[in-house]
Amino acid sequence: MTEAQEKLTIIDCDVHPQLRSGADLLPYLDEPWRSQAARAGLPGAGLPYASPIGNKRKDADPPSGLPVGSDPAYMLEHYVLPFQVEYALLCSDSIIGVSGFADADYAAAVCKAYNDYQIAEWLPRSDRFKGYLCVATQDPYQAAAEIDRVGPHPDIVGVSVTGGSRMPYGQRFFHPIYEACQRHGLPLVIHPGAEGGGIFNPPTAAGYVSNYLQWHTCLPQTFMAHLVSFVCEGVFEKYPGFRVVLCEGGVAWLPPLLWRLDKNFKALRASTPWLKRMPSEYVRDHCFLTTQPIEEPDQPRHLDAMFEMFDAENMLLFSSDYPHWDFDDPTRILTRLSPEKKRKVFRDNARQLFGLV
Amino acid sequence: MAVHRVARTEDIPENTHLIVEVDNRSIGVYNVKGQYYAIHNRCPHQGAELCKGTRCGTTLDSEVYQFIYGRDQEIVRCPWHGWEFDIKTGRSLFNEKIRTRSYPVLVEDGFIGIVLAH
Repeated sequence: MTEAQEKLTIIDCDVHPQLRSGADLLPYLDEPWRSQAARAGLPGAGLPYASPIGNKRKDADPPSGLPVGSDPAYMLEHYVLPFQVEYALLCSDSIIGVSGFADADYAAAVCKAYNDYQIAEWLPRSDRFKGYLCVATQDPYQAAAEIDRVGPHPDIVGVSVTGGSRMPYGQRFFHPIYEACQRHGLPLVIHPGAEGGGIFNPPTAAGYVSNYLQWHTCLPQTFMAHLVSFVCEGVFEKYPGFRVVLCEGGVAWLPPLLWRLDKNFKALRASTPWLKRMPSEYVRDHCFLTTQPIEEPDQPRHLDAMFEMFDAENMLLFSSDYPHWDFDDPTRILTRLSPEKKRKVFRDNARQLFGLV
Repeated sequence: MAVHRVARTEDIPENTHLIVEVDNRSIGVYNVKGQYYAIHNRCPHQGAELCKGTRCGTTLDSEVYQFIYGRDQEIVRCPWHGWEFDIKTGRSLFNEKIRTRSYPVLVEDGFIGIVLAH
């Protein structure tokens, strides 16, 4: 078979299983939370934005009648198998805002329940399912303990948190989480979903935008702040084995941000004497970005040009976001990449990063 | 090679400097703790008169969240954008390949001489 004929198997770094309802977690929830949730439901921190068109695809309802994304068998049948997905990396959606809840102990309990639920009810359903464990960021020591508890599971390949936060992620408050990630060789996957919700800061530096359109467009702001913070606070000097995946936060903003950061560093390096290299070099070696929702400029060659401005072929990881409304079809995006670059972006980079060999 | 005498040693006391013209070049002559150094008065970035910048020390290589101040009076910061240069070598602190020219200095008979290659 020639290279052109070979149908590429892919690793999808952002696939969303859904709970059928919060009741799915009850068997896994420790007391006293279980009794409380059984009586009153699982409290959430809430989100100030909702997509006016819904955040799920309208053609992905399982025939079983279960909610979209909540039927593992149908996820395999509808997406994973027909699209040659070698591994679907499952990223929680249903509890994405858990770190926005004010009660750190409740949030940690929900994450623990979710992780056990995922391990019991999703990961055994297919060799193609691997998962990110969830941690709540309110208490980084409990988060680190959860990484120690669940991280060694063979089907757990990363640690997920949401972009919403009370402070930039590079700051020392969070370092126990990164130390635990490094200890277990698990990348931190930052996924949007609750920016501006609960106890988090507003979703943009200018404040609360009015609707989902603006909120979704401005998500890269939060990612930029986290990324600059990771580098400048010396997280990658302190934890050289630590890797970060910026998931679903866009891609094209990266090169100009790094130009700006490097330029400023030339004058202001004395503020961060622990940095031994240019800031962009740390990003190059420690950070990855998932592709979806890939930017779609009117001139496709403009995206090609952006990819030339950073080490795109080694830093990008394919993601579809199935079954969400802004799903990217792996056969329809990034068609202009060479076969070699496609293999890296759609599969090999993720294989290497997540140890999927 | 020619030695251009530009000042008497007492003209540039410790931790001061002088900007001189030699052979149509503007050069900063610095006294760093009793040793004299000369660098081209031009920042390689956008051409500012580097030697009009603030003289200072800097933070030394350190562990994360550790600040160690040192090299006091050995650094000049460009007056425009604040890039730091090592007065002894002309090299910038963020990339040793980015540098302003450094000239050898000869002190003889109480005179400071700058050595220019011709």
